[in-house]
Amino acid sequence: MQYSMHSILSNKKAAFIFAFPALAVFSFIVIYPLFSTLFMSLYEWDGILPGKFIFLDNFKEMFKDDILYRSLLNGLIFAVLQTVIQLGLATLFALTMLRKNLYGRNILRKVYFVPVVLSVTVVCQLWLSMYNPSYGLFNKIFEIFGLTYRQDWLSSMGVASIIAVTITCSWQYMGYQFALIYAGAKSIPEHYFEAAKIDGATSLQTHLKVTIPLLAETYRITAIFAFVGGLNAFGHISIMTRGGPGTATYTLTYFMYRAAFRLDQYGYGCAVAVLLVLQSIFVTLLINRLIAHERITY
Amino acid sequence: MKIIEKLKSVLLQSFLWIYFVVSLYPLMYMLFFSLKNNEEIFFTNPLGLPNPIRFGNYLNAVTSFDILKFFRNSTIVAIFSIIFIVIFSLMFSYAVARMTWRFRETAKKYMLLGLFIPMQVIMIPLAVLVKQLGFANSHLALIIPYIAFNLSFSSLIFYAFLRTIPIEMEESAFLDGATIYRSFLQIIVPLIKPALATVTIFSFLNVWNEYTMALILVRNQELKTLPIGLLSFAGQFSTEWGPMGAAMILASIPMIIVYLIMGEQIENALTIGGAVKG
Repeated sequence: MQYSMHSILSNKKAAFIFAFPALAVFSFIVIYPLFSTLFMSLYEWDGILPGKFIFLDNFKEMFKDDILYRSLLNGLIFAVLQTVIQLGLATLFALTMLRKNLYGRNILRKVYFVPVVLSVTVVCQLWLSMYNPSYGLFNKIFEIFGLTYRQDWLSSMGVASIIAVTITCSWQYMGYQFALIYAGAKSIPEHYFEAAKIDGATSLQTHLKVTIPLLAETYRITAIFAFVGGLNAFGHISIMTRGGPGTATYTLTYFMYRAAFRLDQYGYGCAVAVLLVLQSIFVTLLINRLIAHERITY
Repeated sequence: MKIIEKLKSVLLQSFLWIYFVVSLYPLMYMLFFSLKNNEEIFFTNPLGLPNPIRFGNYLNAVTSFDILKFFRNSTIVAIFSIIFIVIFSLMFSYAVARMTWRFRETAKKYMLLGLFIPMQVIMIPLAVLVKQLGFANSHLALIIPYIAFNLSFSSLIFYAFLRTIPIEMEESAFLDGATIYRSFLQIIVPLIKPALATVTIFSFLNVWNEYTMALILVRNQELKTLPIGLLSFAGQFSTEWGPMGAAMILASIPMIIVYLIMGEQIENALTIGGAVKG
């Protein structure tokens, strides 16, 4: 008996079998906890004894907490610095690499990308070594040049510490942003550049008026990665400074982590998580608004 | 004008090479100090090549620190995660790309949501959930979340790829009386190899180097994955940089080898991701 294509493809049982595993795991591990976070943020809970419903008290407490504001500031610094460094340098490098008579393109690209595939632990440990005030690479370089200048890179109570960590993180993922921008730039059809050349534009003008605007979609993605990644930074902070000295390098995620897993304040931690997701959504929408509001097609 | 052009070119290219050094030298520095002893690193020869070359640091790292154990854990977690990421997301994408069913469009958008949910937001309830279900501190504690986190992106890749396969491929199979399962296994699966490579590479990178969830969900020293295991080592050897450097290098060698062999495909995988996500 021959079945029509349509009836085979409308086989509900088959569709269920194919789609169910992914949907089940996804719903259980991602969607359900998402709602749990919301729910838990309204409770006071230490993880063991039954929780107490306190409605918005966690949030009130949070907005009175000085550490929150420090975390927000650090997150902003991290995000802005990382975005500027990564997008700025990646653009410079990618556009330079478009040049025809370039030497060593392949090895440059490979080396730029290597830090991306390293473990965050290795990268942080390496930079901790370099930042070490007594024996580290940076201060050693000053010593070798006979300068008496030393920097205690990660011990500042001010913003120097978070900047130091941001540089580490930016260094690690620069290669990734570069690869994205370079791929985007390479996919721009040649005739745009030819047309600009015919019109007598210099390469700088071409890049400012043609290449960069055409890369808007790519910038949207890289900007979101860099900025939201900076706001939500955790790994590098947790390894390099543990939020210290004191609370000088706290970010929102680290604040949340400490509340839940160090102080057993699960409800409070979830309230911070809610703020975190709202922040991410807000920034993503903002970036979407600012960049590439029209679909770019060639 | 030619001279100015030449100068500009040299200047711009020098930026590229300066960053080449910035990218590479820290790794060289780490390689070098993994082969030195403290005195050399701290005082006599911080920047240059090791002299003498102390392979003993590596022996030290492997014997006093069970790096193989962490390798093993990372490998187990990675293999099982990737297997199921691929199977589940491919099946799901097939259902969404080819079959007709009532909630198809909704399911597609639902799965796409996963791309926009930052993992930090579900960290706390997930930790609680894993503990309540009783598989905290086990390989499963990482495998199941890793599968879940990578389904959205993998499904997207497979979906985009499946759409480029003409329906005629399966039509002939159906006309010959094949069931949808056979058509899937014998026709579709062999055809999706390029997408399979992308998904595998991307998932592997996400899982092997994953830090945050591994930190929270597995406290048992015997079961820690590489990124977390290395942390404990760094604490233990904070005053002896040589062995610590050796451990870091050992931990990085697999990824670097994989990258040198498959670098091109890795970059393709990640940048396709960027393009498709946009």
